[in-house]
Amino acid sequence: MDLQERFAKGNLDAFETLFRQHQGRVFAWIMRIVRDAGHAEDLTVETFWRIYKSRARFRADGDFAGWAYRIATNLALTHVRRRPRDEELPLQEPQVLLPDPALQREERERIRRAFQGLPANIQVAVTLALIEERPYQEIADTLGIAPGTVKSRVFRGVRLLRKHLNRMRVHT
Amino acid sequence: MKTGNHHEHTEDEDVQSALQKAFPPVNSELRRDLWPSTLRRLEDEAPAERVPWYDWALAGCVVLAFLFFPKFLVLFGYHL
Repeated sequence: MDLQERFAKGNLDAFETLFRQHQGRVFAWIMRIVRDAGHAEDLTVETFWRIYKSRARFRADGDFAGWAYRIATNLALTHVRRRPRDEELPLQEPQVLLPDPALQREERERIRRAFQGLPANIQVAVTLALIEERPYQEIADTLGIAPGTVKSRVFRGVRLLRKHLNRMRVHT
Repeated sequence: MKTGNHHEHTEDEDVQSALQKAFPPVNSELRRDLWPSTLRRLEDEAPAERVPWYDWALAGCVVLAFLFFPKFLVLFGYHL
């Protein structure tokens, strides 16, 4: 009996092996979306808890990683949806200092605020496509939607952001 | 990490560049093993300990004994 088959039958050791194989990548994926290590850790635990709970629905010859990424993406999306707009995301200073740091910081803050004003599903698509530069196909697979839908969400996101930023007088 | 999307949205590069400045790369390295937390989460959800069948049988015998021999109830009360 192989690992996934034993997991599907509820074997905790098999689940632990799968967990150890995938926890790092699932965490990194969630981190790309929520950009906060504490929340990403909680969501990773939640993802694997859901995986174990619904093991009976998992086909032993199925794609465990793909399944885990889909659950993780949905949880991260829910998190983004519930996140208060004024919640501060940890701001990491860029490695290269730009001419006027105070002005640059203020401009970055405006962009972040405009971005957080977008609908959650658009935020996630834009984060993965434009900030993290993940392929559309990969984003579509993890969100369970067509690549064309990802493209249209990114397109809408860019259009909305441009409008917000123009209103805030931020020059892109 | 550059991927296949890049050529598809060249007209969005100004917005993309602004976003990348506002959201610099995050460290996505896992800092600790999450297995203990996951195990704890699984245990929290474990169903309550089930009462074994012989305990139910014993309780049934006691109830039957009280029904057929009510005087046992007095004896039982005396011993409590």
